[in-house]
Amino acid sequence: VNAAVSRAGRRGLWSWFVALMVFLYAPIVVLVIFSFNARDTVSFPWEGFTLRWYRTFIANPTLLRAVATSLHIAAMTSVVTVVLAVPAAIALARCRFRGKAAIRGLLLAPLVIPLIVFAISLQILARAIGIEPSRYSVLIGHVVIALPFALLTLVPRLDRIGRSLEEAGQDLGAGPFATFVHVTLPLLMPAIVSSAVIAFTISFDEVVIASFVAGADTTLPLYLFSQLRTPRALPQIVAVAVLVLALSTAAVLGSEVLRRRSARAIP
Amino acid sequence: VIDTVPGDGDTVARMTVPAPGRANVRMRRRRFGADTRRAAILLSLPSGGLLLFFVVPVVLVAMHSVGALTLLPSDRFLTLERWRDFFGSIYLGTFVKSLRISLTVSILCVALAYPTAYFLAVVAGRRRYNLLLLTLAPFLTGFLLRILAWRVLLNPQGVITSALREFGPLAADDSIPWLFNSQFAVHLVLAYVWVPFVCLPIFVVLEGLDAHQLEAASDLGAGRWRAFWLITFPQSLPGVIAGFLFVFIPTIGEYITPLLVGGPNSFMFGNAIQGAYLQGFDWQFGSVLGVFLIAVVGVITAVFGRYLSVGTVAE
Repeated sequence: VNAAVSRAGRRGLWSWFVALMVFLYAPIVVLVIFSFNARDTVSFPWEGFTLRWYRTFIANPTLLRAVATSLHIAAMTSVVTVVLAVPAAIALARCRFRGKAAIRGLLLAPLVIPLIVFAISLQILARAIGIEPSRYSVLIGHVVIALPFALLTLVPRLDRIGRSLEEAGQDLGAGPFATFVHVTLPLLMPAIVSSAVIAFTISFDEVVIASFVAGADTTLPLYLFSQLRTPRALPQIVAVAVLVLALSTAAVLGSEVLRRRSARAIP
Repeated sequence: VIDTVPGDGDTVARMTVPAPGRANVRMRRRRFGADTRRAAILLSLPSGGLLLFFVVPVVLVAMHSVGALTLLPSDRFLTLERWRDFFGSIYLGTFVKSLRISLTVSILCVALAYPTAYFLAVVAGRRRYNLLLLTLAPFLTGFLLRILAWRVLLNPQGVITSALREFGPLAADDSIPWLFNSQFAVHLVLAYVWVPFVCLPIFVVLEGLDAHQLEAASDLGAGRWRAFWLITFPQSLPGVIAGFLFVFIPTIGEYITPLLVGGPNSFMFGNAIQGAYLQGFDWQFGSVLGVFLIAVVGVITAVFGRYLSVGTVAE
C-alpha cells in the first residue's frame, strides 16, 4: 500500500501532468504546423504545405544580419560569462574570507532586479561615461544578467566535487594552478558547458536590454519585435521562431545529456 | 542578501582542523589569510565588473530620481518633487494593477505547478528526471518566442479565432474581444511562461521529504489527505514560497507581455517606466518609477530572500 497516493490519485495526477504538458506544448506545435501553411496569414483555413516562409526569410538580408548580430552577442556573452563566473565560483566554493555574504549578494543581485530598470540604468551609464550604444553595450548587460545563472550552476557542482581530489593532487606535488587544470577543470567541465549554454540562450532571446542600448545593432529579438506590427511579415517570423526554438531546444537537451552523463562520474 | 549557494566549504575546512590546539589555530589563521588573498584575486574582475556595470548604473538612476543628475533643462535640480508627484499620480494605480496581475499570476502558477511537482516527485518514479526536463524545456528556450506564439494564436486574425470561424460558432467577421489585447491574455501568457519554472523548487522540496513519515502517519491511522495536509504540505511550503517569488519578482516589472498581447488597457508598471523614458524622455520621472520598483523588489527579496535558495539544490 502506498501511503502517499491512492490508485485513483495516481491516475488523477497523471492526467493533470498530461494536461499541463498539452498546455505547454500545444502553442509550440501549432506554431510549427502553421509555419508550413501556404496561407498569407497565420490562420485557418489550411491552404497546403509550403516551405515558402523558410525560403523568404533566408532571402531576407536584414533578418539574416539580425541573426548574425544576435549570434555574435550570444557567443561573446557565453565566453565572457564563463571567464568571469569560474573564478568567482571557485572563490565562493573554496575560500573563506570576510564579506563573503556581501560579495555573494552582489554577484546574485542581478537575478532580482527588474530588467526594465536595469536596462535604463545601463543606458544612463553608457551616456555618462560615453559608451556608444552598440552590440558591446548589449554584451555588458547580458553578461551581468547571465552571471548569476552561471554561478548557480557552477558553485553547487564545485560543492559536489569536494576538495579531496584537489588535496590529493596537492599532496602529490601539484601546484595550485596544475591542480586546477588537471583536477578541478575536467570535473567542472560539464557545469561550464551548461553555464555557457544558459548564458547563450539568455542573451540570444533577450529583448529588454537590447531595446535600450543596442543602437544601430539590431538583434534578432529586436527585429522580430519591430516586424510584429506588419501582419504580412508574420508567417516569416513564425518560420524563424520555429527554427530558433528547434535549435535552442537541441542545445539545452544536448548540454543536459552531457551533464548527466558526467554527473555519474563523480564518486 | 540571497543565501543561494549551499555549503560554502566552511565545513570541510573545519573538518581538516581536528583539535583547537595552538598550532592549529595558527594554521587556520594562516589559511584564512591565504584564502582571503586568493579570493581577492579570483573575485576582483567579476565583482569589479558588477560594481561598474550594475551598482553604479542603479546609483545613477537613483541620482536622476532626486535631480542630483539631470538630462533636460526642464528637469528640476535636487528635489523630491517628482517623488511627491508620483505618490499623488495615476502611476500608483498602475503599480497597484501590476501588483494585482503579478499576484494573480503567481498564485495561478503555484496552483498549476504544485500537483505537477507532486506528480513528478511521488508518482513518476524513475522517469522523474526526464519528465522534469520535459516540463522545464519550454522555459529554457525562448521567452520572447513563446509570447510571440500566443500572439499568433490569440490575435483577431489568428489561429483560434479563425478556427472558430471555420469550424465553430463564430461568423466570418466576428471575434472574441477578451481573447486579445486584454488582461485575460496577459494573465494567460504570463502563467504559461512561468509555470514550468515554479515546478522546480516545489519538486526539489517534495523529493527531499522523508517517505517514512507518511508511512508512520498511515500506521497511526491518518488517511492520505490528512497526512498530506499535516505532513507533506507544511514541509513543502518553502518550495511553494520560492516558486511564488520566482514568478512574482520578475513579473511586477514586466512590460513585454502587456505590449505584445495586452494592449494599452493592460499596460503594467514596466510599460509606464518604458513610456517615461522612450516616449516622454522624462528620465527624472522614469527614474522615480524605476527606483520605486527596485525598492519594492528589494524589500520582498530582503524579507523572503532565504526561501530563494531552494531552487538551486537541483544544480
